[in-house]
Amino acid sequence: MSDLGLTDFFLTGLITYGPPMLGLALLLGGLGLPLPGTLFLLATGAFIRQGVMDWAATLGLGLFGVILGDSASYAMGRFAGDRVQRRFNRSTAWQTAQETFARRGGTAIYLTRFLLTPLAIPTNLIAGGSRYAFWRFLSYDVAGEVTWIAVYGGLGYLVGSQWELIGQFVSDFSGLLVGLVALGAGVYLLVRRQRQLPLRPRDRKPAAE
Amino acid sequence: MTIGLIVLGLILVGFFGLRAVVSFIRIQQTGLQPGVTDVEAIRGWMTIPYIATAYGVPEEYLFERLGIPAEDNRDKSLGQLNREYAFGQPAAILNAVKEAIRQYQREQPPATQVLP
Repeated sequence: MSDLGLTDFFLTGLITYGPPMLGLALLLGGLGLPLPGTLFLLATGAFIRQGVMDWAATLGLGLFGVILGDSASYAMGRFAGDRVQRRFNRSTAWQTAQETFARRGGTAIYLTRFLLTPLAIPTNLIAGGSRYAFWRFLSYDVAGEVTWIAVYGGLGYLVGSQWELIGQFVSDFSGLLVGLVALGAGVYLLVRRQRQLPLRPRDRKPAAE
Repeated sequence: MTIGLIVLGLILVGFFGLRAVVSFIRIQQTGLQPGVTDVEAIRGWMTIPYIATAYGVPEEYLFERLGIPAEDNRDKSLGQLNREYAFGQPAAILNAVKEAIRQYQREQPPATQVLP
């Protein structure tokens, strides 16, 4: 039994101080502090069911905290991105990366809020650094975080006192998804590189006679 | 970088995939019963008022059985109380709380259903 861990500290805070503590935990998580936000949401759902926390204030302050945290990490990315921009602005790879994020960044932002949560902070930093429009970032961020809170808070509410049991599975499953994304990206890059390789002389078809 | 991504992906898939399967089997074996409040689920981060609410046992009863005053201790976790009141081994206060709840349930079977 340890009460020294950050997770235990915030769980005690949740049952003692309620929604403001959830808002603070999610804000710090959005800033990059390694806190198990999904586990806190599962616990919060169970606490709401037990009548320990009020759902409306919890939803409001939780959403406010996490969006504030995400916006702050976007701002950090933007600040750091200015320096990167100055250095790599003429690089084709940097411009391609910026264009790709501008086209598909919305999906990445939305999915990393609730499905690929370990990739949320890097996505915020990339969004800021690549000068992705803030209002677009905010729209996808709010949609994703509402989904996150509804899905995991709702799951915690459904399983009640047994939220810890489901928490371990959710955490492992999230890690598995990140692994699949990394594997998929690696295989995609490998296949693309193979296709771009010039044909060796012996592979060339003889010229038509 | 490409090979690195594939290797990293394989490691993550293997590690978390195995853990996810084990967690899933554990859930299936235990069965999710939202209304069950087993005393074995009591943890060091919990406070006495929370345990009292979740297990349907009066706060005063728990404080009395632990032999500590309620004043200034309502917001403290079991872990903090264990240190401050020197219960001894880390699990000592957990065992004391579990025993107090079992004793209360033996003396007064719950007239109302405990919270899920």
